[in-house]
Amino acid sequence: MDIKTKPFSFVNHRSITIQPELSVIPGTTTRSIGYWRASGRKFLRDRLALACAVVLVTLVFIALLGPLLSAADPNQLHVNLQNLAPSAEHWFGTDRLGRDLFTRTCLGIRVSLAVALVATTLAIVFGTVYGMVMAFFGGWLDSLLMRVIEIFNSLPSLLVTMIIMTVLGNGINTMLFALTITSWSGTARQARGLVLQLRKSDYVTAAIMLNTPLWKIMLKHFVPNIMSILILDIGQSIPANIFAEASLSFLGLGIQAPNTSLGILIQAGQDQMLQHPSQLYIPVIVLTIIVLAFNILGDGLRDALDPKFKK
Amino acid sequence: MLKVILRRLIALLISLFLIASATFFLLAAVPGDALSAQTDKLPAATRKQVYQNTGLDQPVLKRYGITMTNMLHGDFGTSIADPGMTMKTVIEEKLPPSARLGLQQILFGVPLGLLLGVLAAVYKNRWVDRGVTVVSLLLMSVPSLILGLLLQSYFGGKLGLFPIIGWPEGSDLWFGGWAYTILPTLAGGLGYIASYARLLKNSMLDVLSSDYVLTARTKGLPGWRVVSEHVIRNAAIPIITSLPVTVAFSITGSVFVESIFVIPGVGQYFVQALTNRDVPIIMGETVLLAALYIVTLFITDLLYMAVDPRIKLYQS
Repeated sequence: MDIKTKPFSFVNHRSITIQPELSVIPGTTTRSIGYWRASGRKFLRDRLALACAVVLVTLVFIALLGPLLSAADPNQLHVNLQNLAPSAEHWFGTDRLGRDLFTRTCLGIRVSLAVALVATTLAIVFGTVYGMVMAFFGGWLDSLLMRVIEIFNSLPSLLVTMIIMTVLGNGINTMLFALTITSWSGTARQARGLVLQLRKSDYVTAAIMLNTPLWKIMLKHFVPNIMSILILDIGQSIPANIFAEASLSFLGLGIQAPNTSLGILIQAGQDQMLQHPSQLYIPVIVLTIIVLAFNILGDGLRDALDPKFKK
Repeated sequence: MLKVILRRLIALLISLFLIASATFFLLAAVPGDALSAQTDKLPAATRKQVYQNTGLDQPVLKRYGITMTNMLHGDFGTSIADPGMTMKTVIEEKLPPSARLGLQQILFGVPLGLLLGVLAAVYKNRWVDRGVTVVSLLLMSVPSLILGLLLQSYFGGKLGLFPIIGWPEGSDLWFGGWAYTILPTLAGGLGYIASYARLLKNSMLDVLSSDYVLTARTKGLPGWRVVSEHVIRNAAIPIITSLPVTVAFSITGSVFVESIFVIPGVGQYFVQALTNRDVPIIMGETVLLAALYIVTLFITDLLYMAVDPRIKLYQS
């Protein structure tokens, strides 16, 4: 189950001055640096989170470049090479149909990461625009759109995702749609809360008086100010989406063979679990590393970005 | 106060109505129904008869009217793929295994999680805290599905200590057949340890650094009284309010754990109904589970206000 973290209160990011130990360079006077600079420095000092970022980047490179290093074709069946153990020839061994598991795992990482990243981006962008619009206009539009959010918030997301996958047919596009539909409402609510406070500020009033178009106000004044919340949202929903993709594909309600993903590989590994456990362990370990790295990275980002967590 | 609760209840009913309608029309849009595979080879007259019996020959809007009216009377119809099953028999036969599994997971996971959370908060930045943090991060990064598979393959397969699949039936339904329940309980319960340990630790740290705890300390209150009178009460708020959702979700079954351990519960039956396009059962389970979920959220909101009078949710 997931426990939602409380949205933290709005702080004017532009005016934060950094604590002395970060900004005092011997022999100079204290100077204030920007919020993003300060957060960046703080993040760089968090070695664990930084290590996780490196791990993730490495994994992405392996997933992209790995198949080039190996001569094996991920979809080529080999009748005489079934269920081989990991070796110099086949780094992760071969599966029930004799396909090379290293290249298949690389493809699986690509699909799983792509699904998670795209679904997260769609949900965050849609949720942010939705929340900004409702907070900006207020009034009856705000309360109408709020009712819609309440309905979406009260949906049991797993059930809805599964029904959508059944009705619209399995596949990557359906899955992106289903994952977006069930996860945008939280972001919208947070964006609304922050923009409601921003809207009262003088510079936004000035922008409105100067007839600045709405999209410009959103991009120049709203988005930079709610950016830290959005980054945290992204950090939380990527692991959730990786889980969702893997679990649904595992049940046969997601991505379908011959396409592959970590969920498909885990499901194939389950069949061979007792005879050839490495076929289960390898995709499981890869998935765990990815999610763990994202979780630690998310914690590190929260510590760096959230003014409340300043130590 | 009463008025806002009433308004909220009406919104709740509207949500349910919308969910039921959306589910109905989504399912009506699926090409091919539960019967087409069975009846394709039958003579036309017989096929027509079968369709008439199930009412699937009616136009969509008429079926919608019939379904919604029946639903108001608590009648979700009979299963098409699994003859004789109605939502009543589903609840009688499929709910007990799910409920037992869920309760065992909670009874195992939540107390342990709370204990670890308290220890981590009290011994902050010492090895206890570090250990709890690492373990809970690790457990949160492994979904119950994968935990279940790993437990199956190691304790069931390699060591051969426990049966890999199956669930106690008959007289063992509630008490007995424990060996079958251990791995599924661990698979779901370990996640609760992680989430509750993190939740309680964070809320305790919030409270411990608050001004009223400092005040209590400076006025000379002994340590245990500070904890029992100020810390526990306030730190328990997020626990009390997230327990209902945990209980509701776990009792109605965790789809993944039930699927991999082949437990004949609500979650597994839902997946089966989905693959069979068994519209009445999908409708019934969706509406009942959604109702349970929405009501639980409502109760959670009421609990929030009850345990923390500072929170006024429905002031708009």
